[in-house]
Amino acid sequence: MATVEYQKIGKSFGTVVVLNDLDLTINEGEFVVLLGASGCGKTTLLRMTAGLETVGSGNLSIDGRRVNDVHPRDRDIAMVFQNYALYPTMKVYDNIAFSLQVAKRPEQEIRAKVDEAASVLGLTPYLGRYPKELSGGQRQRVAMGRAMVRNAKVFLFDEPLSNLDAKLRAHMRVEIRQLHDRLAATTIYVTHDQIEAMTMADKIVLMHEGRIIQVGKPDDLYDIPNSKYVADFIGSPTMNFLDGQLRRAGKKVQFVCGDLKLSLPAGFSDQQDGRRVICGIRPADVTLSAKGEITGELSLIEKTGADMQLHTTVENHEFVAIVPRGVDVAAGTSVHFAVQADKLHIFDAGTELRI
Amino acid sequence: MVRSKSQRMVRMILAWIVVGLFFFPLYYWMTVAFKEGREIFDIPPRVFNFTPTMKNFEEVFGISFGFGFGEQREVLPGGGNWYMTPRLLDSIIIAVGSTALAIAISTFASYALSRMDFRGRHHFVGWVLSTRMMPPVAVAIPMFFMFRDFGLMDTHFGIILIHALMNLPLAVLLLKSFFDDIPREIDESAIIDGASRFLIFRRVVFPMAKGGIAATAVLCFIFSWTEFLFVLTLTQTGLKTVPVVASTFVTSTGTAWGNMAALGTAAMIPAFIFILLVQKQLVRGLTLGSLKQ
Ligand SMILES: Nc1ncnc2c1ncn2[C@@H]1O[C@H](COP(=O)(O)OP(=O)(O)OP(=O)(O)O)[C@@H](O)[C@H]1O
Ligand SMILES: [Mg+2]
Repeated sequence: MATVEYQKIGKSFGTVVVLNDLDLTINEGEFVVLLGASGCGKTTLLRMTAGLETVGSGNLSIDGRRVNDVHPRDRDIAMVFQNYALYPTMKVYDNIAFSLQVAKRPEQEIRAKVDEAASVLGLTPYLGRYPKELSGGQRQRVAMGRAMVRNAKVFLFDEPLSNLDAKLRAHMRVEIRQLHDRLAATTIYVTHDQIEAMTMADKIVLMHEGRIIQVGKPDDLYDIPNSKYVADFIGSPTMNFLDGQLRRAGKKVQFVCGDLKLSLPAGFSDQQDGRRVICGIRPADVTLSAKGEITGELSLIEKTGADMQLHTTVENHEFVAIVPRGVDVAAGTSVHFAVQADKLHIFDAGTELRI
Repeated sequence: MVRSKSQRMVRMILAWIVVGLFFFPLYYWMTVAFKEGREIFDIPPRVFNFTPTMKNFEEVFGISFGFGFGEQREVLPGGGNWYMTPRLLDSIIIAVGSTALAIAISTFASYALSRMDFRGRHHFVGWVLSTRMMPPVAVAIPMFFMFRDFGLMDTHFGIILIHALMNLPLAVLLLKSFFDDIPREIDESAIIDGASRFLIFRRVVFPMAKGGIAATAVLCFIFSWTEFLFVLTLTQTGLKTVPVVASTFVTSTGTAWGNMAALGTAAMIPAFIFILLVQKQLVRGLTLGSLKQ
């Protein structure tokens, strides 16, 4: 258990800048998810934390100690790699026990720890097998077992679930989170899957092109995205965006896009008339209503089981709405949606930052 | 895939023809070792219908088959009883020794080349290979003088050294590609687990690379087993390997085909045994199971 602190961290490979002026504090026992699109520098940041990559510039501290130049084995971290990286010539038992064997712990202690980890992870029947004789999910658990027996201060996970099937992934999400709660160890978890991030994290760090865009609780990122990028990244199906302007009508301010007019909450009353903005509306925040302000041409109905996704066109913008299953609509007709004023996300059209 | 019976037959027959193409010259060579005098030259060639004899082997190795092991016989032209057996031993010592030396050095060198960052790492491989670009004949004479001055002339160690050195570039290159195939993350995982470089090599990387090392060892062994030029120039009477000594059957009064074939046939056995021993390590899929797929 420890804090991890990044101060003005930078990193480049040759002329390619991968991380830029990164500041972040991770508290003791926190489960932090680094989220971002492929290539945004998540793995690089994690490897730097582990000591496998040199710190380009800035300070990296674990538990208050500057570790920029500390060897990986002295950082007291455990890491689960993106590709598991099990030792193929060792049986599961030795894979898990390796770090303890290297540290020359007494045989009894090793056995006890491995047995405990194996029983927590449900690996007991497989201890005598080689990694190639395991399924993907079992291999993933071995990789976790290897990290568990270390009693490390900080656990690092690099997209551990990315190659599992959807069902197993959902199961392992819960398991990893439970494991974290058991061990109460500081955890940094990398993923590009926003659902993983939303379900597991205490705190999400959203990265984009080597910078941190927003840090916050999952609900904060979902409810109050600080920029269009965050709004677009979090949530599935993604948020609808309409380009338009702000219009003053007395004390009230409206968002206008063609014939569409949406009233904004009181907080916008000091906004300037005619400001170009983008209005974001989550597909789940609209309801079908004959008197709704939003009119869309329905082109496709997608049934996802519990509900339906309506693909429509609103004022020349694609617009997706989620409605309960069984409502009576037909493709090729017009549909009307209502939305609450406080569910509208308004971003500046130029900076794409939240207003 | 479902195939009809006739399709399978055709495939089988083609496969046997290919096997035959490779095996027949070898087989015919071996029959020569068991033929006597005129039978070797008979037209049409006698492929199956010859009278097998051990005479060639008896002459070459001085062993009397059928009359008890090693019975004293009249002295044969070229040196006497047993006179080729020590040559076979020389060959084994040199091939095993040079293979061991080349593998020991190239394993560490190629692991370092594959994993460690140092200046000029990328040029290193090309530079290593360039030593093989020169025809050996060009350096045979200078080597002769060097060996003479260093006292390596006519010694097993000298030949082991030169064969190992000649094998190194290729062995390094081959092994490097095997090490490159082992994901770095496996090393890194072990680094985090607290292991030292040497321990990682011994417990993690080496067991994975065994197959590649074995394959490389086979190549080194065969090279040394058949190398001719340097053994010819750098030895006099102290030792001779099989290829060099086989050439002595070509004399001004004729070529002893039967004897030469007998030596050649016998020489295949140790090489064959070596390859069989090593082959067990030639397993495919060296990183099987370590990664997600
Ligand atoms: N050793 C390297 N040399 C040069 N460029 C590198 C190196 N490692 C990473 N990069 C570059 O740094 C950027 C960030 O890579 P990184 O692996 O951290 O991405 P990531 O966020 O983990 O992506 P993914 O989700 O695909 O795993 C990429 O553009 C990548 O090309
Ligand atoms: Mg990555």
